[in-house]
Amino acid sequence: MTPRPPTSYWIVFAIVLALLAAAPLVLPPFWQRFATEILIWGLLAMSSDILIGYTGMVSFGHSAFFGLGMYGAAAALVTVKPPSLWLAVLYGLAGAGLVAVFVAYFATRLRDIYFAISTLVFSQIFYVIIFTWTEVTGGENGLTFSQPPLTLFGLHGARFTPVTFHWFVLAVVTLSYLAVRRVTQSPFGMVLQSIRENEPRTRAIGYHVERYKMVAVMLSGLFAGLAGTLYAIQNKFAAPDFVFFVVSGEVVIFNVMGGMGTLVGPFAGAAFFLLLREGLSRFLTEYYLIPLGIIFTLMVMFVPQGLLGFARRALNR
Amino acid sequence: MAERWQDEPWTKHLWWTGKTTRRRFLSLSAAAAGAVGATMLVPPPWREAFGQAKPYKVGTLQPLSGTAAAGGKTALVGVQMAVERINTSGGLNGRPIELVIADYESKPDVGRRKAEKLMVEDKVDAHVGGYLSNVCLACMPVYEEHKVVNMVSVCLDTTITTTKCSRYTFRPFDYAPAQAVAISPYLINKMGKKWHIAYLDYAWGQSTRDAYIEQIKKNGGEVVGTTGIPLGTADMASFVSKISGSFDGLFGIFFGANAINFTSAIYDLGLTKKAKYAGDGAIAESTHLAALGQKIEGFVGINRYIPVLDPPLNTAAHRKFFDQAVAALKKIDPSGPLPDRYVQSNFEATNFLKLGIQKSGFRGREDTMKLIEALEGMEVKESDDFPQGDKTLRKEDHQAFLREFIFTIQGGKHKLIEVIAKEKTIVPAACKFA
Repeated sequence: MTPRPPTSYWIVFAIVLALLAAAPLVLPPFWQRFATEILIWGLLAMSSDILIGYTGMVSFGHSAFFGLGMYGAAAALVTVKPPSLWLAVLYGLAGAGLVAVFVAYFATRLRDIYFAISTLVFSQIFYVIIFTWTEVTGGENGLTFSQPPLTLFGLHGARFTPVTFHWFVLAVVTLSYLAVRRVTQSPFGMVLQSIRENEPRTRAIGYHVERYKMVAVMLSGLFAGLAGTLYAIQNKFAAPDFVFFVVSGEVVIFNVMGGMGTLVGPFAGAAFFLLLREGLSRFLTEYYLIPLGIIFTLMVMFVPQGLLGFARRALNR
Repeated sequence: MAERWQDEPWTKHLWWTGKTTRRRFLSLSAAAAGAVGATMLVPPPWREAFGQAKPYKVGTLQPLSGTAAAGGKTALVGVQMAVERINTSGGLNGRPIELVIADYESKPDVGRRKAEKLMVEDKVDAHVGGYLSNVCLACMPVYEEHKVVNMVSVCLDTTITTTKCSRYTFRPFDYAPAQAVAISPYLINKMGKKWHIAYLDYAWGQSTRDAYIEQIKKNGGEVVGTTGIPLGTADMASFVSKISGSFDGLFGIFFGANAINFTSAIYDLGLTKKAKYAGDGAIAESTHLAALGQKIEGFVGINRYIPVLDPPLNTAAHRKFFDQAVAALKKIDPSGPLPDRYVQSNFEATNFLKLGIQKSGFRGREDTMKLIEALEGMEVKESDDFPQGDKTLRKEDHQAFLREFIFTIQGGKHKLIEVIAKEKTIVPAACKFA
């Protein structure tokens, strides 16, 4: 049985949550939106941490889950009048979930690099379909739509402001984090970690490894789809670029920078990467990628456990 | 001599052998920050001439990195040329223009974020730019939300001024339906009745294909087949080899490296001998000609701008623009490319904004509606501001109409065949502003 986390954990959790909730009240408008975006990308990175950090499966298919979440939400917001927030979430989850089932069924039969390549291939297949099926997906231009109002328990909806949307995203991300944390600490999560540590031994003691991997991919895909849905609602558009494998690559970078197998690390990685990119691009315009690449390389060399691992070591010293 | 090169005495200044103390780290960081800060304190060149006059802040979103970087850098040259010219000739209403450049990395999510930054943080008064249509479309709601005029300067997607049009967005250059109207009579009357269309199989290629099918049929021609080729296909031979049947001409809708690949493939498979080759002017941009060599000879295309100084482009205004653009382009590409339609449309989009600001007495965002009204229906004449020629910025959809050039490639150079007057390129408006 997993030991109960110490009270200090929940105190730190509450402080971080309070700071994140207060952030839009003190930040200028641009940074308000940016903070919300970091939470969404962090959710996507956390979803991939279920596979990379806990199951030991590197996925390059998260762009497909994220993108299908976006297009699912877009389908609801374009076709249903008046637009409904919860229907958009439902469609987004359904879109990502269906793709996740499909990818999980085929890709989990493979291991290591072959799994990574198959997820990349699947994401590219979905990218090509979305990119060329212009009549339905809008092709290269994607789909634009209006933001749905916030409705709770069927009550009349209120239009989102940047602050209320930030709180909405924060609530969804917090619940997602707690849910994933619970899953990773459950017996199911322990089996996933066992697969990561020694797959043949896990199989030898009687676990149906493929089934566990499939559930992990589907779970990961659902949360990635949820992130895609939130992104679509925030930005009021869906574009094929988000299905392209480069997005999956960035998600892997968030994990490496933040610390794999920590759930919180990917959020820190996403925040660090996005802030660094934003800051550097302001001074160096198109040349910002050079220092960004150097910093990433140095981090891989000298801080391989990511920011969270580094902080943990520093605190334990 | 030391065993390892790192231990050599001369490496002491290069190779870090000591311990990084906190004091040393902080002092180095402070020095670096100071250097960056000092460069930021250097006033822009126009500041001295205009004293304390508050500048107009004009934002420009361009893809300066990523897949569209080459085109984005060229496009930026056009905006910078226009801004520099305005500032050196006294500014606008006694105020200089301060250009705020943002790179969107050829990605729509970054584009959206940078557009937001231009609006809320830089507080720009207007925007000129946009290169990739998907990014233009993704950012249009941001300009609308913040009530800022957006002069699109490259994005070609038809829907920008039709189904997705916005009161705040203007396209001061041509689009595919107008080009199809302009060249179709020439295709049918001078080249042949039966056409096969090959296109890039995505939104722009598909909408352009539809425009040409409609106009070829309208002019008494026939489209016997179409072939879509996915964007980014390196070896197009397998697609091109399926183009068969009897047709007089092959019409290509391609740009960039795809245009080079397509032209090479049809030449290698003998299609350019079997049928005449025509297409979108982007196939034969001056930057492609060296790579294509003999393969592009005889190609007939349509473009709003070609880098020639033959009549009617032998005007003093065009010569001045041409020379300045060549000099500016050489700074970013030492091979010295000739100006293309991206430089031209960015240059002229900025000048449209200039005229709008002058005409409306625009002071800032609070006067955006006055600026829109000044730009709507604006007629401009061929001049230093508009070296390409006369233009009309239609009120109903904010789409410009301008003369088009039908050209061929001879001896590796553009040769003007026919000029189509702007009045003969008109397409009915299909926009309803919200």
